[in-house]
Amino acid sequence: MTAAQADAEPRRAAPTVVAGDAIVKTFANGSVTALDRASFDIPKGAFVSLVGPSGCGKSTLLRLIAGLIAPSQGAAIVHGREVTGPRPDIAMMFQKATLLEWRTSLENVLLPTELSGTVTKADRARALDLLNLVGLKDFAFAFPAQLSGGMQQRVALARLLQTGADILLLDEPFGALDEFTREHLNLELLRIVGEFGATTIFVTHNINEAIFLSDQVFVMTPRPGKIAKIVDINLPRPRTLAMQLTPEFNALAEDVRATLGAL
Amino acid sequence: MAEHDLPQRSTPRSYWALSVLPHLVLFGALMALWEGLSIINVIDSIMVPRPSEIVSAIWRLYVTERIIYPHFVVTFTEAVTGFAIGATIAVVLAVASSLSDVFQRYVSPYAIVLNVTPGIALTPIIIAWFGYGMGSKIALAAVICFFPIYVNALTGLLQTDEDREDLFRSLGGTKVQVFFKLRVPSSLPMVFAGMKIGLTTALIGAVVAEFAQATEGVGVLMGRFSFQLQMAASIATLLSMTAIGLLLFYAMEFLDNRIVFWGRENRMARVSRARAKAWQRIMHK
Amino acid sequence: MAMSGRIAPSQANPAQPGASLRLRRLANHLGLFLVLLVLWETGSRLGWLDPLFYPRPSAILRSFWLVYFENANIWWHLYVSLGLVLAGFTAGSILGVGLGAVVGLNPLVRRYLQPYVIVLEATPRIAVAPLLIAALGFGAQSKIAIIMLVCFFAPFINTLSGVMNVPAEKLELFRSLRATKWQTLRKLVLPDAVPVIMAGERLALTAALSGVLVAEFIQRDQGIGSLILVYTRNLNMASAFACIFTLTIIGFGIFKGMELLDRWIAFWKHQDGRERVSAARARAHAEEA
Ligand SMILES: Nc1ncnc2c1ncn2[C@@H]1O[C@H](COP(=O)(O)OP(=O)(O)O)[C@@H](O)[C@H]1O
Ligand SMILES: [Mg+2]
Repeated sequence: MTAAQADAEPRRAAPTVVAGDAIVKTFANGSVTALDRASFDIPKGAFVSLVGPSGCGKSTLLRLIAGLIAPSQGAAIVHGREVTGPRPDIAMMFQKATLLEWRTSLENVLLPTELSGTVTKADRARALDLLNLVGLKDFAFAFPAQLSGGMQQRVALARLLQTGADILLLDEPFGALDEFTREHLNLELLRIVGEFGATTIFVTHNINEAIFLSDQVFVMTPRPGKIAKIVDINLPRPRTLAMQLTPEFNALAEDVRATLGAL
Repeated sequence: MAEHDLPQRSTPRSYWALSVLPHLVLFGALMALWEGLSIINVIDSIMVPRPSEIVSAIWRLYVTERIIYPHFVVTFTEAVTGFAIGATIAVVLAVASSLSDVFQRYVSPYAIVLNVTPGIALTPIIIAWFGYGMGSKIALAAVICFFPIYVNALTGLLQTDEDREDLFRSLGGTKVQVFFKLRVPSSLPMVFAGMKIGLTTALIGAVVAEFAQATEGVGVLMGRFSFQLQMAASIATLLSMTAIGLLLFYAMEFLDNRIVFWGRENRMARVSRARAKAWQRIMHK
Repeated sequence: MAMSGRIAPSQANPAQPGASLRLRRLANHLGLFLVLLVLWETGSRLGWLDPLFYPRPSAILRSFWLVYFENANIWWHLYVSLGLVLAGFTAGSILGVGLGAVVGLNPLVRRYLQPYVIVLEATPRIAVAPLLIAALGFGAQSKIAIIMLVCFFAPFINTLSGVMNVPAEKLELFRSLRATKWQTLRKLVLPDAVPVIMAGERLALTAALSGVLVAEFIQRDQGIGSLILVYTRNLNMASAFACIFTLTIIGFGIFKGMELLDRWIAFWKHQDGRERVSAARARAHAEEA
């Protein structure tokens, strides 16, 4: 325990970059409460997972932080300022790759740059580097329809990184992929966000995946959607697949499962 | 589990106030503007008749002089008969094509030729062949409504779902059973889509043939009014074609709704209720 | 799943029939076609079909020679008709795409326009021809107006639905990247709608051909439509058929041309297009580096 705490200590000292201040979001004229008083602090560089059954408000919380929708009450606070709309320091990735079919991988990765100004030679070089980083060096000029589902998500990941945002929001990014591909991409994701020092919020409905990836797991329950418990994951980094078999891991999984089951 | 969470229907009154009234207000305003511009001579009221004139023309055609009804019936009959003939041939050929590769291979070149030839071009020849009466209108309607129905029905029948066919085979289903219990039902949405296009096309065929040579039908009436520069009456007649078009379209839509009930929320709920009731009756016998 | 011992025959759908098979099939097609022609010809010669109304294949062939070379009178009419088609199609489809985009992007306009669109959809639009001729007079003007009218609708509806059916998650992506309205339109909405718009254009061009024919049937002055009408009136059916088969060839050309254009513009929808453009862009990149 002490070793794990020592590991957690410096992170706790890190400044908060994303915070929720009793965020409430209702839909359909208040008849559906998608999110009920969500409050949390996420320190810089942390990897946080939102886990819970579908319909518990995970996507809603992510879209609120991204500034894609406005809260009914409370506020999402990023870098000390209230979120009022989409902003350059936050980038988002979705369950569907949402690539533009008429653009090559490279052109898709360059989209964020293109939307915020002109594309320089340096931008192109960086985009190629990112494609290299996600293992798609040889597919820079392929169109999405020529790529497998996993490869499409890698392009989407490269595009996410191309934004240069330091807060990454991922909504079940590998949820539509098969188990093997997903595990593999999860490891890559950990390596990459670690390298970039980004603060990451990751949505999943897979408990093991959430624990494996995260520093903190927000366990969410539905009707009304709320954060039922925040579980600190003090497993050492770098994480390995073998850790999933340790008693510590199982105890954490048991904790999360109990929270979800208690409802 | 709740029974069925059917969406609440909005009450008739609020429906009226929210969705129909604004449209009516806008429509009224546009008509008033048109009338006004016409009165102060911004719009040439001979070439573009005033709304009030169109309304009075409609009144004359439908209520006082009542001359439109026989023409209306003629065109309607031509379009529907032509459609029935064209659609029957189209569906029969589509079924045959879907069952036999060889048949499809030898029919498709002719179907393609028929498709790329503007069917309208046949108008004078069909009139020469079938005479000035309703026969030629029916024939043209049948010819030009054939292709969309054939193509849609064939596409629908050929779209196979391997898994479902495998399921049928694993259950020992025969080819005939696969056809009637699987292929036909799954092709129906496409068939209806083709039929809707075909109906509109059939109406066009009937009207164009009437323009070319005929003694009765709304096309004739329309040509006559136009050349006498009776624009209001001409537009009134045009609107009666719209009425035929809407009538035919909604009749087909009605059938589509009844037959292809799956995939339509409200129909599905009704059919499911009806079947539950029928089931109960059987059980309590 | 061949456990049952009864292996079902696979749907006869040979991916790539061999060259010899294809040649044999072509021969079969031609054979069947020739048999039909011979039947028709002999039927006519034996007096089963009245040659006055049902011209013999040989007579139609001769008429082709006549209208194209001996009298060479079809050229002028073709020129007139196709010119009108081009003018009316261009104007009508530009109008259709433009209005479709405006209406598709504007929910309020869409809501109030919807009833009129439904009414317009049910009306046989070609039926407005006599009205337009009465209003605009005889001549090219009213003909172009008719073609525009019949061309307008398909691009309009298709652009409308294409613009409205952009996947929500892509729109959300653009929003999260803080794209401007104009950027979203240019880089997402329009390219996404292109395949559907192209399908509309294809329908429109076919409709344009019908439009010019109807206009010419009514005006009876010049153009391929009036030529067909005159030949039929004079019971010169063979020449009328020569004109109609000419239209078949033009229709086929339009069909193939639009298909090519579609493959070129919406290249990402076709495998060969993707491979071609992908290779070209890789080459361009390599040259730059
Ligand atoms: N735009 C919306 N309009 C109405 N209800 C919505 C909307 N978005 C989400 N909801 C509702 O909010 C709840 C939470 O949705 P969501 O955040 O998507 O859940 P999750 O991502 O955890 O599956 C659900 O009950 C959903 O139906
Ligand atoms: Mg979700």
